[in-house]
Amino acid sequence: MVVTGRAALLAALGVVFVAMLTPSWGGVGLVVAAVLLVCVVDLLLAGSPRRLQLSREGDTAVRLGERAVVTMLVANPSRRVKGLLRDAWPPSAGVQDPPHKIDLPNGDRRRFVTHLIPTRRGDRHAYRVTIRSIGPLGFAGRQGSHRVPWTVRALPPFNSRKHLPSRLARLRELDGRTALLVRGQGTEFDSLRDYVPGDDVRSIDWRATARRGNVVLRTWRPERDRQVAIVIDSGRMSAGRVGDAPRLDHAMDAALLLAALATRAGDRVSLLACDSEVRADVRRPAPEDVLPSFVNALANVDAELVQTDFRVVVSQVLERLGQRSLVVLLTGLDPAVIEESLLPVIGPLLRRHVVVLASVADPRLAEMELERSDLIEVYGAASAARTRLDRERVTAVLTRAGVTVVDEAPDQIAPALADTYLALKKAGRL
Amino acid sequence: MSTTTAVGRTGAESWRALRTPLLVTGLVVLGAIVILIAGTARTSGPFSPDSAKPTGAMALARLLEDHGVDVTGTDFLGDATESGAGKTLLVAPTGSLSRSDWQRISEAQWSHVVLIRPSLRALETLAPGVLDATETLPEDSRDPGCELPAAVKAGTATVGGTSYSAPDAAHACYGDGINNTLVRTEVDGRIVDVVGTSRSFTNAELALDGNAALALNLLGTHSELVWYLPQYESSGYDDDENDGPPLVPPEVRYIAWALAFAAFVVALWRGRRLGPVVPEPLPVIVHAAETTEGRARLYRRSRARDRAAAALRESALGKLHKAHGIPRRAEPAAVVSTVAARTGRDPAMLYELLYGQPPVDDAALMFLSHELDVLTLEVRHP
Repeated sequence: MVVTGRAALLAALGVVFVAMLTPSWGGVGLVVAAVLLVCVVDLLLAGSPRRLQLSREGDTAVRLGERAVVTMLVANPSRRVKGLLRDAWPPSAGVQDPPHKIDLPNGDRRRFVTHLIPTRRGDRHAYRVTIRSIGPLGFAGRQGSHRVPWTVRALPPFNSRKHLPSRLARLRELDGRTALLVRGQGTEFDSLRDYVPGDDVRSIDWRATARRGNVVLRTWRPERDRQVAIVIDSGRMSAGRVGDAPRLDHAMDAALLLAALATRAGDRVSLLACDSEVRADVRRPAPEDVLPSFVNALANVDAELVQTDFRVVVSQVLERLGQRSLVVLLTGLDPAVIEESLLPVIGPLLRRHVVVLASVADPRLAEMELERSDLIEVYGAASAARTRLDRERVTAVLTRAGVTVVDEAPDQIAPALADTYLALKKAGRL
Repeated sequence: MSTTTAVGRTGAESWRALRTPLLVTGLVVLGAIVILIAGTARTSGPFSPDSAKPTGAMALARLLEDHGVDVTGTDFLGDATESGAGKTLLVAPTGSLSRSDWQRISEAQWSHVVLIRPSLRALETLAPGVLDATETLPEDSRDPGCELPAAVKAGTATVGGTSYSAPDAAHACYGDGINNTLVRTEVDGRIVDVVGTSRSFTNAELALDGNAALALNLLGTHSELVWYLPQYESSGYDDDENDGPPLVPPEVRYIAWALAFAAFVVALWRGRRLGPVVPEPLPVIVHAAETTEGRARLYRRSRARDRAAAALRESALGKLHKAHGIPRRAEPAAVVSTVAARTGRDPAMLYELLYGQPPVDDAALMFLSHELDVLTLEVRHP
C-alpha cells in the first residue's frame, strides 16, 4: 500500500478545517475518516501490480564502459495500471534511467527500456521489478514486485586494443621478412626462390641449384603454430589497486593484447586464471574464438584474498603443454612470495618452456621516492626505495634463473608484454 | 511469462502470516490491562501502607489491622473527599494538592484527620492557627512534654523534623519547649493531628522507642482508617498561582492532533520506497602501495634512521652506477673517485655521504636525503 502527495495534502487541508471550523474531537475524527475513506476506495480501485505479466529481452554481455540495453515487456491482463515502474539492478550495473512512468490499459502491452553502463567487471543480475499502481483518484495505490531474472555480463574492456595495429604491423614486418636468410633456432623452412644479386650467398641451396640449373636460395620464416600459455594470477598479489583498477584488470588487458597478437601470428593461445584453485581455463580455442572465449572466461574472475599456490599453477601448465611453449605468468613481483613460493617450484617449467613473468608496477612508488620535502616523505621515499631495490633484486634473481621479467606501469604493461613477445619471436626463442 | 514472477505475499497470505503475531499481541495487551486493573488497589512509594521498603509504612498498617483497624490505602483524591464521618483520614507527606482539593477534604466530615508533615495550604485549610515554625528539629529521643493521653501513654519517642507552633488551646508535644513536632487541635468538632516527623512511623524507625505506640494511639481512634497518598493532581485552574485564563487555548490540542495525523500521512507518503534496497557484494579495495606506506610509517615510528638512510644510499648508488657505468661490485673507493671526478665534489665528503655513518637525528636524515637527491640529479643533468 502506498499513499501519494494528494493524501498528504488532504490531511493538511484537514488541519486547516479543524483549526478554522470545528476545533473538536469530532472534527479530527471527520478528517481522519475522510482521508482513510478516500485512500481505501482508491486502493480498492487501483489495478493489481501482481497480475502484470513481465518478460525481458536484450543484451546479455557488454564491454565494460559501454552501454547495454535491456527491454522489458509488460502485459496487463486485468484492470488499468497507472503509476511507476522501477527496474532495480545492483548499483554497479549502472542503471541510467529513472523509474518509468507506466500507464497500461486492460489488455495492453508495452516495452520499457533500461540502459545499463556497468561500472565493474562481472555478471550483473537484475534484482526486482517494482510496480506502483495508483488508483483513479490519485490518493493511494498498491505496490508489488516481480522477479524477472536477467543477467548482463560486463566483459573486460580490452583498452589496450589501441596498441594492436602497431604491433600487428611489426609482426607483419617480422613475418614478411621472408628474406630472413639466416636460419636459426625458432625458424622454419619457408620456400625456395631465385637468387637476386645482394642476397647472402650463405643462403644458397646448392642441392636445389644443381637440380634447377640456376641459383636458388632457401628462405626461412619465424615459426608458427607455437603454443602460448597465458597464466593470470588471481590471488592476493593481483588484488592491489594500481591507479583506478586492480592489478588483475591490468593483467587481463595485457593478456588480451598478447592473445590477439599471438593469434594473428599463428600461435595457439590458451588461458589459465589461478590462485589456490583454477578460476578460468580456456584450452586452445579456435583462432577466431580466442578473444570472445577469453573475455567471457575472465569476466567473472576477481582477485581472491588468498596466497596463490604456484605448485598448482606449474602442474596445471605442465599438464597442458606438450611441446616447447611460451608461458606468460602475470603476477606481482613481491620478493617474499617470488622467493619462497615461486622459485622453488618453477624449475620444471623453466626446463621445458620459455617463461615470461609480467608484473604491473605501481607508479605511486616512483612518486613516493621523489617526494622528499619533509620527514614523513623522506621515510616514505626510503621505504619506496627499499621496495624498488627489493623488486630489482628479485628481478635479477629471476633473470639469472632464465625468466624474462616485464615490470611496467599499468598503461605500459600491455604493449611492453606484446613487445617482449615480438622480441622473443624475432630472436627465434619460441 | 506468467504471474509467477510476482514476489511478496498476497492479501490472504499476509493475513495468515500476521494473525498469530496479532493474536499474541492482543493477548499481551489484554493481560497488561487486567494486571493494571487488578493492581490499582495497591499503592506504592514512600509512606505507602503496601510498601515493605525502609521508607514504606507496611509495618504500621499491619499493626493497625492487628488492633482491629480497617486500613484502606488509596491514591485517589475521590476516596479522601467522600463522606468520612466516624472515620480517620491519614494524609501522607507525598504529592501536592491544590487549595480547592484541601477544601474538599475539609468538607468531607472526617471525624479525625492526621496530617503528616502537611503543606502550608493544608494547615491553613484544616488546622488554622497551627503555624510552620520554619525550624527543623534534629531527630532525637524526646519526652512527650504535654498532657495529650496518646502521647503520655506512648512515652518517649524518636522524633524530629518539621516543627510547628501551636495555638494555646491545642496540645503540643515532642518539642524543644518552643516548637513541637506533634500538634493536636480541635476545629469544628473535628480532631486534627499535625505530625511533623515523617520518618518515625516508617518501617525503618517504627520499632524505636515508643514510636509504634504513639502511631497506634494517634491512628487507632476509629475502626476505619483511610490512608491517602496524595499525587500531583489538580482539578481546574483555581490555584492561587494559576488564576486567570489558561495560557494555551484548549482548541490547540485538536489542531495538534490533526497536525499529527497529517504528519503521519506525509511520513507514509515520503517514507515508502519504490521497491527494496538492492544488495551487492563489493570487492575489497587495497592500494598496491599500501604495504610500502605501512613500512614508511613503521620506519618513522621506530625512528629507523639507519634503515631509511641505507635504503636511500643504496638507491642513489644504483642510479650512480647506471649513470657512470660503474660495475655493480665496484669498491667504494673506486665509486667515490669516479663520481668525484665527474661532479667535482670533495672525495672525502662524497665518501661520507655515500658510505658514512647512519644519521644521528632527523635533521641529519633530511640533510642526507637532500644531498643524495641533489647528487643523483646532478648526475642526470650534468
